[in-house]
Amino acid sequence: MAADPIHQFEITKLFTIGHIGGQEIAFTNSSAYMFLSVAVISLLMLGTGRQLIPGRMQSVAELSYEFVASTIRSTAGSEGMKFFPLIFSLFMFIMISNFIGIIPYTFTVSSHLIVTVALALVVFFTVLFYGLYKNGLKFFKIFVPSGVPIAILPLVMFIEVLSFFLRPVSHSVRLFANMLAGHIALKVFASFIGMLGALGFLGWAGAVLPLGLTMALTALELLVAFLQAYVFAILTCIYLNDALHPGH
Amino acid sequence: MAMGLRLSSELVAGVLVGAGLGWGFDRLLSTSPWGLIVFLLLGFTAGVMNVMRTAGVMAKQSERL
Repeated sequence: MAADPIHQFEITKLFTIGHIGGQEIAFTNSSAYMFLSVAVISLLMLGTGRQLIPGRMQSVAELSYEFVASTIRSTAGSEGMKFFPLIFSLFMFIMISNFIGIIPYTFTVSSHLIVTVALALVVFFTVLFYGLYKNGLKFFKIFVPSGVPIAILPLVMFIEVLSFFLRPVSHSVRLFANMLAGHIALKVFASFIGMLGALGFLGWAGAVLPLGLTMALTALELLVAFLQAYVFAILTCIYLNDALHPGH
Repeated sequence: MAMGLRLSSELVAGVLVGAGLGWGFDRLLSTSPWGLIVFLLLGFTAGVMNVMRTAGVMAKQSERL
């Protein structure tokens, strides 16, 4: 029973939707889990009632709204609430799909770089276009530090531009690397249980250690799943703050 | 932990993008290895700047507008 820790990230085709320019557009297990996450979120947000005294699930829905709203207000100010739909969707989608991915035999959507890059680019272009729309060409002043001698200004400006373009990279790689590394570690330690168990009684006694570690890691992964969604959302707020508040 | 992950990934992204840019520059203009050297250092600088911004040591870009 050689457990392959990478096997869980494999993308399989469920059915073909159509062809665009000779390229097959397939409905994969990844797409299925994306739809599942959206379905779970819709169920949570729409299907839990509108009572004055909230029930258990309605409390979860209201708490998640309050949580994201207070995060936006504290990092991007109340003008940031314009972008509440975007940030709330990103946060809930990443969090719910991560939580679903912890369940054994499921697929983790954000363990693929292309998915997190797409999400990070949405944020990047939103910041860029909204910043240009709101501030006009003054937006480019974020690349020009004041009080720098004219001789080294081009070099400093180049580094500033580079660091602006680094944002989507670190934004996406962080989420992807955390989910990938966590799931591989979990799978490796879980496979140790089976390997040790094959050694007989002494092996079974020893297998208690990786079993305990797997349980601990699962708890840690639950924390990471939430934390990475939160980090993604709060960084989105910080980047949007650049576009929203020119006056500082 | 969230802070540590944020800081380290900023730096790693800086160095990696710098290396990638330098490698592509060298491939296009066949100036190997100068593009890689220069862009790797610039990428490292940009990464360190992002780390310092994240840590709040340095002013944010938006504060210049």
